[in-house]
Amino acid sequence: MTATLEHALPFPEAGSAADAAFIGIGELPSGRFADRTFMGALVEVSARAIIDAGLRPRDIDTILLIPCLHGGRDQADLIFSRLVEELGLNGRAKSSMMIHSGGSTSDSATRVAAGLIASGQAHNVLIAQADRWGSAPVTDMVDMLSGFGIPREWEVPAGVTFNAVGGLITRRYMHASGSTPEEMASICVALRDWARLNPNAMFKDKELTVERVLASKMVADPVHAMECPMLADGAVALVMTSATQARRSKDAWVRIAGSGGTVSHYSLGQEADLAVMNWPRAGVEAYEQAGWGPEEVDVAQVYDSYAAVVAQGLEGLGLAPFGEAARQFAAGRFSPGGELPTNTNGGLLSAGHTGVGGGTALLAEGVRQLLGRAEGARQVDGAARAVIGGTGGTYMDSQVMLLERVTR
Amino acid sequence: MTSEPIMHDLTVDYYASLADGRLSVQQCGDCDHRIMYPRYRCTECFSSNLGWVDDTGEGTLHSFTIQRIGAPTEFGADGPYAVGIVKLDSGPQMLGRLWPGEDGTWDHYACDGRVVFRPADADEIAEHPAAWFATVSS
Ligand SMILES: [Zn+2]
Repeated sequence: MTATLEHALPFPEAGSAADAAFIGIGELPSGRFADRTFMGALVEVSARAIIDAGLRPRDIDTILLIPCLHGGRDQADLIFSRLVEELGLNGRAKSSMMIHSGGSTSDSATRVAAGLIASGQAHNVLIAQADRWGSAPVTDMVDMLSGFGIPREWEVPAGVTFNAVGGLITRRYMHASGSTPEEMASICVALRDWARLNPNAMFKDKELTVERVLASKMVADPVHAMECPMLADGAVALVMTSATQARRSKDAWVRIAGSGGTVSHYSLGQEADLAVMNWPRAGVEAYEQAGWGPEEVDVAQVYDSYAAVVAQGLEGLGLAPFGEAARQFAAGRFSPGGELPTNTNGGLLSAGHTGVGGGTALLAEGVRQLLGRAEGARQVDGAARAVIGGTGGTYMDSQVMLLERVTR
Repeated sequence: MTSEPIMHDLTVDYYASLADGRLSVQQCGDCDHRIMYPRYRCTECFSSNLGWVDDTGEGTLHSFTIQRIGAPTEFGADGPYAVGIVKLDSGPQMLGRLWPGEDGTWDHYACDGRVVFRPADADEIAEHPAAWFATVSS
């Protein structure tokens, strides 16, 4: 018998009726679009994903909603099934519900969808996200981010902000790895180079250099202004179904080969090692399930709200030696044309931080790459296996989805 | 402006110690496990028999940052300030404020450097109930 994790359960076999498949994606450009309404964007990406899947709206029986962060009323509209009505699914949809684990919500929603499909409780699932984070008042959003995920009795009184969280992680990562400010800045530049190939990216038209990053103001040492994610409006949707249905309507689709995760803290002050988090444990679980390892990965999409976050994610998931990810970014390994294309949509740092949607956009980009549908030079030739890494809150969890391309 | 006051059975004792110049940490009456931040049950043995013990406040600095731009409006900070995560020698770890040096900077702090609890006065604690730390030599 091969060694397995004691909690590992049998995973659906590729192509079985219980095997979940991504068959459709829809996305709108990220950035600041004052005239684009929240519900209009949500309906548009939902329609695009459903059409892309080769389905009609009435085929969708379950809607999993990714939360929006820009306002409570729109959030309430989501929870109370407005999208069902907007899509004309009233009287047809079995359930509409919100899944929420912050930045890792797309990983959580994917797991929920896969479980519902595998157990026969859903057939065609729409996962939909929209946010107007870039158009919301910046001060309100900064105050919100400084009050969410930071214990109000114990750490808010110390003045912790979200950028301070990024500063604490980055400082420890640089200390542990010996990475230089130039190497950290090169991560932002690599992501910008990808964004310039993505028509949906917020910063598709703006070149970035290490010098410009390091010349920008210090926000929360050692994090500079241009190393902080820019809040953006965005919308993305995915459709999942069973492999049985996928085979009926598609020549190629994307399956989940394995998943792993660890929730490591609520308060960042309780995290044992800010340079590592819990990526290694999450990765071992996922690779074990998939039966393939980091050396077989063609493309990686790992959460990157700060440069250190993607660096430690890549290391913990075995995609770079510990302490070497920033140096390998500087050497071009993760850039366009590099050995392991990473965050090929430009990531949160350059495609835009669309709230909970940043992780959803990375997931959609992973699926898009495996379907061979990224635009032009962004497409990774022959991409068959992808790693998706997500994390939410103050990097409270490390979530991994291993995806693979399947053809009929 | 002050932070939103959140007083309950756990914060009352902890904030009172800080105002009195002491760092109290929670200790389990059944297994002696020390806990920070304070919880409703012991995270080791699940007991609710929890009390307080004064800590020496000595520890190592796991990481720190200096907040320069974009402090929360309600925090009411004028200039830059520093926060750090301290691993106390007694076991638990916690997040607190860091005193600047005489030159007004935090240049003398380093990851894994030694720090010690050095309390703020009662007025500051009334405004922002946080534990403050300094380097051992300063
Ligand atoms: Zn105990």
